Amino acid sequence: MATSLLPVSGQALDAQSLVAKIQKLCPAAQLRPDCDRPAVKVPLAHWPVLAQQLFASADLLFDLLETHTAIDWVQTGQIELVYVLTSLQCGHHLTVFVDVARDNPVAPSLCAVWPIAQWQEREVFDLFGVHYTDHPDLRRLFLDDDWQGFPLRKDYADDFMLERPS
Amino acid sequence: MGLVTDNLPGALLPLPGGGALLTAIDQVVNWSRANSLWPLTFGTSCCAIEVMMATGAARHDLARFGAEVARPSPRQADLLIIAGTIVKKMAPRLRTLWEQMAEPRYVIATGSCAISGGPFLYHSYTTIRGADEVIPVDVYVPGCPPRPEALLYGLLTLQKMIREGTTLARPGEVRKPVLAALPDGMTLHQVRAEIAELVQETATVDRAAAATVGASYASASRV
Amino acid sequence: MNATVATTLRARLDALPSQSLLGTQEYFVNMGPQHPSTHGVLRLVLKLDGETVHQVIPVLGYIHRGIEKICEHSNYRQLVHLTDRMDYLSALANNWAATMVVEKAAAMETNSRIEAIRTLVTELQRIHSHQLWWGVFGMDLGAFTPFFYGFRDREILTDVFERTIGGRLTMNYIQPGGVMHDIHPELVADVKAFLAVFKPRLDEYEALLSENVIVQERLRGVGVLTAQDAVALGATGPVLRASGVAHDLRKAEPYGLYGQVAFDVPVGSRGDCWDRYAVRMQEMRQSIRIVEQLLDNIPEGKHFLVKPAAKIKVKPGVWYSHLETARGVLGAMLVSTGGEAPYRVHFRTPNFNNLWAVTTTATGGRVADLVAILSSLDLVIPDIDR
Ligand code: SF4
Repeated sequence: MATSLLPVSGQALDAQSLVAKIQKLCPAAQLRPDCDRPAVKVPLAHWPVLAQQLFASADLLFDLLETHTAIDWVQTGQIELVYVLTSLQCGHHLTVFVDVARDNPVAPSLCAVWPIAQWQEREVFDLFGVHYTDHPDLRRLFLDDDWQGFPLRKDYADDFMLERPS
Repeated sequence: MGLVTDNLPGALLPLPGGGALLTAIDQVVNWSRANSLWPLTFGTSCCAIEVMMATGAARHDLARFGAEVARPSPRQADLLIIAGTIVKKMAPRLRTLWEQMAEPRYVIATGSCAISGGPFLYHSYTTIRGADEVIPVDVYVPGCPPRPEALLYGLLTLQKMIREGTTLARPGEVRKPVLAALPDGMTLHQVRAEIAELVQETATVDRAAAATVGASYASASRV
Repeated sequence: MNATVATTLRARLDALPSQSLLGTQEYFVNMGPQHPSTHGVLRLVLKLDGETVHQVIPVLGYIHRGIEKICEHSNYRQLVHLTDRMDYLSALANNWAATMVVEKAAAMETNSRIEAIRTLVTELQRIHSHQLWWGVFGMDLGAFTPFFYGFRDREILTDVFERTIGGRLTMNYIQPGGVMHDIHPELVADVKAFLAVFKPRLDEYEALLSENVIVQERLRGVGVLTAQDAVALGATGPVLRASGVAHDLRKAEPYGLYGQVAFDVPVGSRGDCWDRYAVRMQEMRQSIRIVEQLLDNIPEGKHFLVKPAAKIKVKPGVWYSHLETARGVLGAMLVSTGGEAPYRVHFRTPNFNNLWAVTTTATGGRVADLVAILSSLDLVIPDIDR
């Protein structure tokens, strides 16, 4: 591939046609309007198939998983997984949101599609406690193995942390 | 503390003039120690760039003070310059490094992180609030990061302490110059009120002025 | 040593039967967290057979400070200074990334003077960062002189920063709504003086290290990262470009004044250590080009458009923006539920994603090459751990 892999060698799609295209691939995907960049919300069951399609479809070509993280919505009892995707070949972006239940967060691992996901998922496992099925090496990434709890969850508390006095 | 006084007890002391001789020998030994410190290259984060690299490079030239022989192995070093944040996972490793160092060993904590946790004091679930929770620290060099000159000053201070024999040796010994974290159950307002009270008690010149200062301490809501 | 001798030596080494044929055992060696070549507290567990590396397992967390959690308890101004402490060698670009996302979320305006200053100082810091990398890279290969040369010239630039910004390393300069202080009246003259000194010295760097046969031997063909692997492993910045992918956010999605200045994006072809070295050397020259175009064209205007103490409020939503630091793509994600503090902040850091290239590139090579590979990735460990 070497020098042939240049950015913007494909066609960059605008937000509307991008979302329309994705809804064609996966009708259950919904536009998430409160984002500044094209974003869709995808039901968990459809996500692994759609991920593979996003990576492989000739006019989408999301080759780079720029980042993967999570948001803990403690009030609604959901952990929202966030996937920020970039296509270096086409030059467009997409953010995908996937909800998992907070008390039993299980999601499929995407290592097979984007290898970097292996470590990004380990980070989310470490800090949010999301379990990824079919992950080759799901261990804590930053914290010690015997750490209790998941610190980026909103209800995380321990005796060590200090509140900033107001 | 010194080599001769520690290791040859009673041999010289009973002799006439033995005490003076011991002191003289110790002074020479401590003088030499102070001028040939071998630092361990230990940097965990941002401070390392300033205090390990910039200070060691040509412009600030740590070599002028006899401390340029940086060793990557703790067993060959006797000065630990803590440059950067210490987190829970690193703390046991820091303790191991310190224990592996040649004795007598000295510690300089540079930067607010190594002094108190610095910018990561509040709401961090991992940051240790000061390296002296883990190992004894002789000299604190404040800054975020401290300038190379500040480290040089800290080094000179340490050399003075070594010559005077006033460095710390045992873990648990703490000579903390800063309020690292609030004492349990105490709010910042209480601390400020206490400071205000102290100001009032100790002010002998102008009680009225001191009262205003105290009041402004007590009423200020943010640092 | 001349080139042929070095080449034959390498050929003979490579022709030796692999260690496993000799019936040796695999064993594990810990490199770090206290190791001079990992540039901080990175720990690598190496599975070795003699000198051959069979597997590299990075172990992280020795400087995980919980920055994302602290951000949730900070307001939109306070979180900027924490970004200084992630990739402290690109502190200004980090400030800018946080500022950019806050400005986007709060719909804050800037003017062309602010954008020019931001572009100028960030580009200067790219040089600043590469100078340090070059010095340390030389040191890791066993040459001590580059370290002194690199720092000698870096100090001049540090002084330039200090005059305007007040800081030498952690800048906290680019703020939502502007920049902290207006530029020093002498800044332009200072930078010109620096460039006059530094441009010939850059040639000296090339003569000292780039044209050195030993350096070439140790870098060429070592630690090859293919374009596919680089993209799959999330690598960005010089690491990605050295593998032949001309992706640079300054070109792809111009921010600041990058759309108005002329510069090239250096690209490698093989993705070995040499290409990563050469790309950064070229980048310094391109940064000089950008700085020269900006220097005499800083527009007049205010350097701060909102009151520094003004509260910033953000309506509910999710924002993401990214830019190119000296090491790659730094993304900042902001989740707000309204009010003065973010609900969640996430930083996509270039080093976290660049690190994993070491797991493929070092495998099968020798231990000594691992040090060159690590150094060519130019990692900043607190940026990995956050
Ligand atoms: S004191 Fe400041 S510069 Fe030093 S390690 Fe801590 S945050 Fe970094």
